[in-house]
Amino acid sequence: MLTSLEIKGAVAAVTTSALLLSGTFTAAGTYRAHRRAGSDARPPTASELVTGRGRSLFFRSCAHCHGQDADGGEDAPSLRKLQISGSHMTLVIRSGIKGEMPSFAKTYTEQDTAAIVAYLKTLN
Amino acid sequence: MIPWDKVHGGMTHFPIALLLFSATCDFAAVAFRKMPFARGLRTVSYYGLIGAALGSLGAVTSGLALANGVWWGRGDLLFHQRFVWPAFGLLIGLAVWRLVVRDAMSRTGRCLYLVLMALASGCVAAAGYFGGELLLKGG
Repeated sequence: MLTSLEIKGAVAAVTTSALLLSGTFTAAGTYRAHRRAGSDARPPTASELVTGRGRSLFFRSCAHCHGQDADGGEDAPSLRKLQISGSHMTLVIRSGIKGEMPSFAKTYTEQDTAAIVAYLKTLN
Repeated sequence: MIPWDKVHGGMTHFPIALLLFSATCDFAAVAFRKMPFARGLRTVSYYGLIGAALGSLGAVTSGLALANGVWWGRGDLLFHQRFVWPAFGLLIGLAVWRLVVRDAMSRTGRCLYLVLMALASGCVAAAGYFGGELLLKGG
């Protein structure tokens, strides 16, 4: 049998847990509504849309070698502080690097490549 | 702009590690209850559990900020959250119960506590696993 102290503790535990969970969900809902109001007030700019698409393409094709945060992987360098121009990045993405990185010329259009480059530039 | 992905990635390890460590110490204390260090194991598990509960507040807050306040999402996020909320509720409840009861547990109380600790550990481990899957898929 549970002692009276344990029963008191159980009541306190269930009450605290329920209050904290309901408080968390309420606060999350409020935060979400606040974020939505903010995003409704200012639609994304064209460059934000492009970098967003670039980020999505990066995760699809590049992140498994260069890392989720583009900070480099076991076999691929970091892309965070690239000291090369946008056109050079485009060239590397489209042509690849022999024996090291595949070409993405057939995978992505020029607009897609430009979106990836735009995203990479935001990492610098 | 706060990098919530990094904050969540860092903070979430505290409750996971501390809870699993605390549960391990609890079960070890039962297995070695006749040994002189059993009391020490219970003390360590107590502080581990309190630390895990405190750490879970930061992990949950940063996770919700990362998900833009969505606490019941879709797809992989939902898999993660299906385990996060039971784990969070159990963790807080267990910590409060131990704060009140300390070491004055009856046999029944200790059995119930250990069962719930095992359940909480399973939920935390599953939440961590599906959280990792989310990260790998770039969500």
